Amino acid sequence: MSDKVLVVDDSGVMRKIIIRSLSAVGFNDVVEAADGVEGLRAFQENEISLVLTDWNMPNRSGIELTRDIRATGSTVPIFMITTEGERSRVVEAIQAGVNDYLLKPFTPEQVREKLDKYCTPV
Amino acid sequence: MRAEYFNPFISATVEVFRTMLGCELTRGQLGLKSDSSPAFEVSGMIGISGGMHGMVVVSLSRETAISATEKMLGERPDTLNGDVTDAVGEIANMIAGAAKTKFGSSALSIGLPTVVCGENHQVTFPSQSTPMTLPFDSDLGSISVEIGLAESAC
Repeated sequence: MSDKVLVVDDSGVMRKIIIRSLSAVGFNDVVEAADGVEGLRAFQENEISLVLTDWNMPNRSGIELTRDIRATGSTVPIFMITTEGERSRVVEAIQAGVNDYLLKPFTPEQVREKLDKYCTPV
Repeated sequence: MRAEYFNPFISATVEVFRTMLGCELTRGQLGLKSDSSPAFEVSGMIGISGGMHGMVVVSLSRETAISATEKMLGERPDTLNGDVTDAVGEIANMIAGAAKTKFGSSALSIGLPTVVCGENHQVTFPSQSTPMTLPFDSDLGSISVEIGLAESAC
């Protein structure tokens, strides 16, 4: 199994912060995308074992990306990392196929805790 | 704009700077915004729509914006480059998003951040709003969060 992680966020700074947290727990093989369109393309072109995505992005959102990935039949773990914290939004994300949810702002430790819960790098 | 609308923005700003930048903010006096120029030359702006509409502006000096980016990335940009504008936009996004969550209303939506740099740039808030400014001090420099929100017609 691959341990390649897909990180999707329209902020390059936020992608760097997330990738730093991933690296700290041993995930060093990362593919980046800046929106849901690029994210789906990267997902289809790589053997991805974990997806971390923002919600609000131009072109195609993280929730649409989640639905697109689930429509392929994939059960890959998907984490939403977003500012959308209302209960109705969390429910919407889970119904779309998101496995876990992390609110911005977040600490690196919170990212690590989420990752530990679901996967260990190969 | 009612006074209780500001509390979510105050706590969201403190929380974002503490969590993402490891930086403690000291709050200054809430004041009426008397002109359309943000306090500093770098502005991260987020539109709000739904039950209320308007804008939140996070305004920083060039130096403070670079220092904030250094805190987020662990390396100091030489100039006000794309990483700095990206970081300021993301700070504005997190403040507006965290405040929206604290309002507890799913009837509010936030837009994507826009960042404007330059002295004396102007921001126009909705005419029905009374824009206010929330100043903060920190080790990184001064920050101003400027908010103009009006209740939307049903």
